[in-house]
Order: sequence, then structure tokens, then C-alpha cells
Amino acid sequence: MEIWTPFQNALSLMIALEGELIAIIGLSLMVSLTAVATSMVIGLPMGALLAAYQFPGRTAVIVVTNTFLGMPPVVIGLVIYLLISRAGPFGWMGILYTPAAMMLAQTILVLPISIALSRQAFEALNGEYAPLFRSLGLGRIAWIKALVVEARVALLTIALACFGRAIAEVGAVMIVGGNIRHSTRVMTTSIALATSMGDLAFAMALGMVLLLVALLVNIASQFLRHNFRKHGHDV
Amino acid sequence: MTVQGLTLIRNGVRLLDDISTTIRSGRITVLLGHNGAGKTLFLSCLHGLIGYEAGRIEGPPRASQKMVFQKPIILRRSARHHLEFICPDIDRKLLEELMGRAGLAERIDAPARALSGGEQQKLALIGAIAAKPDILFLDEPTSHLDFEATEFIEAMITEAHANGTSIMLTTHNRAQAERLGEDILLLDRGELIEVAPADQFFHSPKHPIARQYLAHL
Repeated sequence: MEIWTPFQNALSLMIALEGELIAIIGLSLMVSLTAVATSMVIGLPMGALLAAYQFPGRTAVIVVTNTFLGMPPVVIGLVIYLLISRAGPFGWMGILYTPAAMMLAQTILVLPISIALSRQAFEALNGEYAPLFRSLGLGRIAWIKALVVEARVALLTIALACFGRAIAEVGAVMIVGGNIRHSTRVMTTSIALATSMGDLAFAMALGMVLLLVALLVNIASQFLRHNFRKHGHDV
Repeated sequence: MTVQGLTLIRNGVRLLDDISTTIRSGRITVLLGHNGAGKTLFLSCLHGLIGYEAGRIEGPPRASQKMVFQKPIILRRSARHHLEFICPDIDRKLLEELMGRAGLAERIDAPARALSGGEQQKLALIGAIAAKPDILFLDEPTSHLDFEATEFIEAMITEAHANGTSIMLTTHNRAQAERLGEDILLLDRGELIEVAPADQFFHSPKHPIARQYLAHL
């Protein structure tokens, strides 16, 4: 059956693990994991701060963050493009059409998720622990540190949500990365290109790898979760 | 600890109304009252957990006070790590000894939140007592607990008291109030109705509301 041919070809491509395929997968993972790590490092303290403290402009920050949650990746790609293109204010950095630009775009894309979801997680925990922490006389830094430790299971889920959005998006990396072969081509942009060029086997192989990555990430998270549960940290 | 004119207002309601009293140091003071009388709020004000609209509270600094909440607040860690967080200077041997006395020796590395309600209450109390506070606030420490857990908690309270900790606890259990209480405070709808030594309170209460309360307790 003709419909199965791309699948069969994709399978043999995957089994062969051809060099270009590996490079594309590697770059995808590197860009998205870096973006997730950066967004968590920036987003978690912001989420904790928004959850635990009242300050002027807090509501405005929450509204803006929530608005950015639904921002289409292409729009973020466009804005970053305007900022880092040669005529833009950050053009001097010379990062347009490099993996650095793609990481930047994906970081901006997933940052609102890490802020908004961690704020929710921290708010619930803060409500629970505030009397205890106040009773113990914890200072601001110790308070936030304790909240982060207590929220670690939720934070794992948040990191997964961020990774899911980053690895799956195509618009932002396409615009700021340029989908340049051997340089800025990632799985999603390759799928788009291969499909438009009729190379369905290659597109399908990458699609299956994307699914496989999602599967592996979820297996890892289930394993961690199981471990947390075993130690009673998820109740 | 002295309280003068303590008034707490929320949404226009006077939840604590002009309370003035002295809580004697080195005593076990039992705070009685119906649900909603303001017992927990009063303890929270004394411990400095919530602000109030008027009045003054003078007593030892909060660092030398501890509070055990009605629903114990337990961290998502092992029982050992929970205790180490609550009481950072705790000696490893003391920790293990206290857990042993609570019958929790084998659960010391178990997830603290996987312990039963009674075990969590014991854990919370151990953490508070191990810190050797000047004042210990206990909000209904034995509500919903079985006989064995209640007995352990009362023994710990008595021991802490013997070691010089002033105790203030709320309860709905008359027998417990009589067993432990040296001084009694009765709150009714945010007002302090009666302050008396336990003997006097239980045998010849002065205020009509106190008599009515005791008749139903």
C-alpha cells in the first residue's frame, strides 16, 4: 500500500540514523532544553515572588504574563527578528540566523508558561505554608527557597509543559533561525520543508522522532514522579 | 505575656473585641470557647501571625515561641527532614529519641505527609517541643486523635511544662482542660468572658455565659 511507503522509508531512515538526522535532532534538543532551562531559572523566582509578595504593578505583571501565554510563536519570532536584525536595536549582536537567536525566541516563548504555572503552584503552597514559615520567622530568601523545594514536583511538570511547547513550535525558530541546513535546521522546520518538497519519508521520520522524544521525556518524568512518590513528596 | 485592648476586625466584624489579660509565665493556660469564638485568631495574634486593629501584646520574642496548628502543617519531605527544617539545631540523637517515644522510630525516614493524622500531629508537636520554646501555642492539639496519641501528646505537654515552657492551648475537651489546665480563659464571640484558675473556673464560674458553657461542655 502506497500510504505505508513513507512510514517504511522513515523507519529505515531512523534505523540508519543518518548523520544529518542526528544533527537535526541534536540541535532541536539543545535549543529547546536551553530555552526551558533559561526560562525556568528566570521564571521560577518571578513566579514565587508574584505568589508570595504584594508589590506595586504585581497585577499588571500577571495580566501581561497571562496574555503572553497565548502568543503565537510566529509573532514572537517576528518581534525577535525585528529586534536582532541588522537594522534592529540588537543587530550589533549578530545572532540572527544562529542557534542563539532560536534559543532566545524559544525562551521568550516559554517564559510566560514557567512564570504563570509556577505562580499558581507557589500560590497554593504559599497558602498552605505561610503560617508555618511566618511562625518560624523565615526571611524572604529562605521563604522562597523553602517554597521552591516544596514545589519541586509541580516544577517538574512545569518544565515538561515548557519543553512540550518549545520542541513542538515551528514559527519562531523558522523566522529567527532561517532553517539553514547544517546550521539552524531543527526537527519542526525540517518537517515543514521536507513536506513542502515532497520528501514525506524524511518528514515522517522526524515526526516519529519528535513523538519518541516526547515519549522518552514522559517516561523520565514518570520515573522521577514515581521516585518522588516513593519518598512521599507528591501528596 | 500581657494583652491590652486587643481588637481584631475583619469585614466590619469585631472578631476579637477589646481583650485585656495577662498570661502567666510557666503555666498551662487553656483557652476555651465555642467554635467561632475566636480562639485560633487569639492564638494567632499572640504568636504574631496576623495583624490586629487595636491593642498591644507584650511577651517574649517570636523566635522563642512555637505554635502547633490545629491541622498540622507538614512539609513534603521525610519526617526527619521535616523536623530538621522546623528545628535546625536539633540534635540527631534527640530527634531519634523523640521519634522513638512517639512510636515513630521506624517511620523516621518515611514521607512525613504519608503519616496518619495522629502521627503528623505528634511530629508537629515534637518539632515544636524540641526547640525548647519559652511559650508553646497549641491549637486543639488532640482533636480527632485516638486515646494513645492523646496520651502521648498530653505527656509531652506536661513534660515541656515541667521543663519551664509556658503552654497555651485550646480544646473542646473538658476532661483534658481539667487534666492540664492551671489557668482558664473563656472566649465568647470574640469577648473574653472569664479568666480564672482552673479549679475556680470548673467549680464556681462567675459569669452566666461561663456557667452555660460548662453545662454543655
